[in-house]
Amino acid sequence: MIDRLLETARRKVDGADALWRREEQTAVAFESGRLKAAGISEEAGLNLRVLSQGRMGVAGTTAAKPDPEALLERARASAELGETVDLAFPKAAAASLPPIPTYFDRTANASLDDLIALGRMVVERLARPDCQINVSVEREVDATAVGNTAGARGEYRGTGIAVTADVTRIAGDDVLMVYDHYVGADMPSDGDLEALIRSIETRLSAALTIVTPPDGSLPVVFTPAGLAAVVLPLEQALSGKTVLQGSSPLADKVGAVMFDERLSIIDDPLTPGRPASRPVDDECVPSRATGLVERGAVGRFVYDLETAARAKTQSTGNGRRGIFGKPHIGYTNVLFRIGDGVHGAHVGAQHAAPPSMLGGGLIADLDDGLIVDDLIGVGQGNVISGAFSHPVGLAYRVQRGEVTGRVKDAAVAGNAYDLLKRIGGVGTDGRWLGSRWSPSLLLEGVSVARR
Amino acid sequence: MKQSRADYTEIRVERTWSSAVAFRGRRLETATVSEDQGGFVRVLNRGRGWGIASFTSLDELPAMVRRANELSRAVRMEEPICLADTAPVVADAKLDLDGDVRGVPLGDKKKVLEAYNGAMLAVSKSIVDTQASYRDEVSEVWYANSEGAALYQLRPEVVVSGTAIGRRNGTIEKGLESIGLRKGWRSVQGFEERFRVVAQRAVDLLDAPRVRGGAYPVILDNELAGVFIHEAFGHLSEADFVYENPQAREMMTLGRRFGKRVLNAGDNGAAAGLRGTLPFDDEGTPTQDTPLIREGILVGRLHSRETAAKLGERPTGNARAISFRHPPIVRMTNTYIAPGKAGVGFNDLIRDIKLGVYACGAFGGQTMLENFSFTAGWGYMIRDGQVAELVKDVVLAGNLFQTLDRIDHIAGDFTWNQMGGGCGKGGQFPLPVTEGAPHVRIEEALIGGDV
Repeated sequence: MIDRLLETARRKVDGADALWRREEQTAVAFESGRLKAAGISEEAGLNLRVLSQGRMGVAGTTAAKPDPEALLERARASAELGETVDLAFPKAAAASLPPIPTYFDRTANASLDDLIALGRMVVERLARPDCQINVSVEREVDATAVGNTAGARGEYRGTGIAVTADVTRIAGDDVLMVYDHYVGADMPSDGDLEALIRSIETRLSAALTIVTPPDGSLPVVFTPAGLAAVVLPLEQALSGKTVLQGSSPLADKVGAVMFDERLSIIDDPLTPGRPASRPVDDECVPSRATGLVERGAVGRFVYDLETAARAKTQSTGNGRRGIFGKPHIGYTNVLFRIGDGVHGAHVGAQHAAPPSMLGGGLIADLDDGLIVDDLIGVGQGNVISGAFSHPVGLAYRVQRGEVTGRVKDAAVAGNAYDLLKRIGGVGTDGRWLGSRWSPSLLLEGVSVARR
Repeated sequence: MKQSRADYTEIRVERTWSSAVAFRGRRLETATVSEDQGGFVRVLNRGRGWGIASFTSLDELPAMVRRANELSRAVRMEEPICLADTAPVVADAKLDLDGDVRGVPLGDKKKVLEAYNGAMLAVSKSIVDTQASYRDEVSEVWYANSEGAALYQLRPEVVVSGTAIGRRNGTIEKGLESIGLRKGWRSVQGFEERFRVVAQRAVDLLDAPRVRGGAYPVILDNELAGVFIHEAFGHLSEADFVYENPQAREMMTLGRRFGKRVLNAGDNGAAAGLRGTLPFDDEGTPTQDTPLIREGILVGRLHSRETAAKLGERPTGNARAISFRHPPIVRMTNTYIAPGKAGVGFNDLIRDIKLGVYACGAFGGQTMLENFSFTAGWGYMIRDGQVAELVKDVVLAGNLFQTLDRIDHIAGDFTWNQMGGGCGKGGQFPLPVTEGAPHVRIEEALIGGDV
């Protein structure tokens, strides 16, 4: 499909690249502990970008039998209004693409009954008389082909599986929600499922007691899930797009130490076993790791082809595209590497360390503080400024080195750039959460307000 | 439909024509026209669960009906799924296209957006970056089920939105405008001033202090009051949260008091001309005005056919899907706080507040049912009954049982706030919804920030 489309394009425009993707999903859903639905979803689509008289245009289609001429015409019409850009499509790679396993037969071949059995096991393990348990198992098998008129081609198949569990406990007027998931390219091992179940049990049992929240400027342990509000500003600021636009606070800080010198962050599309891993990006750029933050200093920003061309630099292989719209910058796997690298050692597994105590071993020396596991409304403020302020969704009070219970009706606020200048402690609980790997971090001087 | 061997079968086929234009700073990002199409099948058998198939390849429809039936039969249920009765309707329901966007040249759409984007950029040199986007669509939806319903719906939508980023040294602020309408080309003209105002606000916020954290009397403007009722109560009213959860049913018993007598709220999918309005939902049920709170007391909830049957109530036309890729689930449409006494205005609400916060505009909101956030775009301190200095990072932490009950004054100045974006639930985002409210006063609410 790609070859025919690019051949058609070659005759009519200056250059083109295209992506074809097919995805098949199978999902089973347990609601309130009962298997309720099974579904499949099949989708295939084609995205074309052209350079016509120096201008860029895009078009996409999900038609079952796409007409290359019609798609090309729409892309050319889009280019007539488009901006000029000096875009060079990557040439055919001299060496073969990096070998990275993205397709696991076990995942692809799992039957509907296998997926149901997996979900049922999680439901049965988590069953509690006073709790409602929803579990879903979603398996995806996909195939991607990318190519351009400069002769580059890339093709790969991928698998992914997500097992998500959420537990809701309502007691009188108290609503407690605890959620976790396993996400991987390969089927979860017994250990992975055990970790998922224990993660929920640990957080649920520590939440049964409700205590008064503290207030003031306090030390707070952000769990890998709770860390999202702190990480989001960095992800925006390290994107080549915000740098190009002049809205990134890190734009002119390459090489400058802006964070705790133990902190390194990489984007790594070549991590084995992760659904976001891939040998080549959606614009034919071979995958490689990018050091975003290196020992506290700002490293490289991530780029796609167009942003790199405008910024007069190279794409980092972070081009991502859907069926409609033009390619944009996207992270693959974002990994926190802290200290001597010990915590980054076994990142292929869902949990690097055995599921540990709440707080990742960071609370022993805390006299009074919080463990923040979930914040409400992350991403809805003025994110890029680094400032955040959120009510707690799930948080625990720590007093004299021990978790004393769950806190409600409290709000935490701070600035990600200020807080990450000094990391008070690094947890032993490093794990994957979606496509991010991080341990818990102890950050000091977080504002906690209560009613 | 006739080939289906299942007890109940429904089929949705959609074809969506859309166009999109986007600017980033002074540069055009994209100008594209897209066509998306696909189908959705859902079947049910006695003693079995839902079998679901979604697909882009429409010529496989008969095969997909068979697949969905196989999936349904793989799900064994002890307690059968029932659907509440709804009279099967055969109808063509074409909403007013209000200037069919399909007939307007893409260049004209670019010109309009360029003017709005230019209005933001022209405000000040401190506006370093903008994002402006225009998107329109005309969606054709065919729906049929084995009970005899056969509907054809024509649904237009148009959204223009802009973000202005102001920057001075390390301080970065944003202003956001977003207009979303279930209308067409004629309705998106003449908004230059609204875009200029948000860019000016981003500049003004550069000098504004962060709000101090703590509990305050708070007045919400119409826009934020709308987001508030959506997050605070709308999601709790969605019956899929309570229908299989005895504790949740008890918490949400009809007749329970949630607020003072001034509070009246509801959801109206049949209101004329609004973005959340549709003649029929995605199960073929006609939409309606559903009172949720009357004089502070819970009087109703939002239903699909399944949740209505389970609770012995009537379907309300709130089963919605964002596209053929998803099953219909219980969602809001146009959710509102009804106006208080005519003639009661903002000045009556502020007069006796010594120290408080006037929270304006909405960056967003999120709920974890009992606790929720709603993020203002900006705010002012209230001092001695007067609007005082501008403050930023105003994020409110709400609690279902405390915050609703502390609403003590509601003005008569009701407006519908038709924003772009939309609501997210169960992986379905963005669903077009609208919120409406007058100015609302909360006696005391928690705001995050330094304490």
